Amino acid sequence: MSRLDCEEALARLHDYLKRELTPDLVGEVRTHLERCRDCEGYAKFEQSFLSMLENRAHKETCPNEVRARIVAALRAAARDS
Amino acid sequence: MTRALRLHSLPMAEPSAPGRLFDQEALPHLDTLYRVALRLTADPTLAEDLVQDTMLKAYRSWQQYRPGTNARGWLLTILRNTFINDYRRRKHEPVAMDLEAVEPHALYRSIQDTDPEGTFFSQIVDAKVIEAIDSLPTDFREVLALSDIEGLSYGEIAETLKIPVGTVKSRLFRARRQLQAGLYAHAVEMGYIKPREPAR
Repeated sequence: MSRLDCEEALARLHDYLKRELTPDLVGEVRTHLERCRDCEGYAKFEQSFLSMLENRAHKETCPNEVRARIVAALRAAARDS
Repeated sequence: MTRALRLHSLPMAEPSAPGRLFDQEALPHLDTLYRVALRLTADPTLAEDLVQDTMLKAYRSWQQYRPGTNARGWLLTILRNTFINDYRRRKHEPVAMDLEAVEPHALYRSIQDTDPEGTFFSQIVDAKVIEAIDSLPTDFREVLALSDIEGLSYGEIAETLKIPVGTVKSRLFRARRQLQAGLYAHAVEMGYIKPREPAR
């Protein structure tokens, strides 16, 4: 398995965190992070940022009255067609 | 009351076949559509209208959808096109920050001694996080919402936005950096984190 240097590993970091890499590359990035404290620290920071984003911004749901209005509009469209 | 009106006020019968299939395929994605609409318009009233317009358009072009394929992507494409054609009327479109000259890991370097795991993010209230996202340029908000909030793969986003995967990735990279910079500035302002001492 080839060894990634810091630059190569960090260039793939987001793809790694978002699970967009092939299994080979996942292994290569993981190996680098296990050996490089500096890159591992940066990876943890980016992971905490991504988790925060998903936790905070995924909470909102379509309000019930909006849902009801949309379903009513769809029913009206069905009647008209 | 006229006869026609009385007929209209009757409780709705079970929706007919295309209606029921549409309900099954499309309605489960309402929350996603609503959140993406909120991020695109940055305005709850416009977001509601945008979702409703999207659902009606989707209903009317239902025959173009192949059941069992990616309904979420199909709906998001309609939402996105509707937004661009009818809703993109913000007076002051936010601009991309020029971060080209800044080293990509500069923010991390400035906190790695004091808060290496970015715990300051957890001190920022939800509303401020949303505000920071909504002050990104539209192209950035869009990819960020689809990827980091809704969890679409890069491939799905590329298909939805009709842009190459490489463009999705570069926009995401810049969107995340600009958002981090905005949240960091807010955290410093609020005293959640101490700014780094100027270089000696």
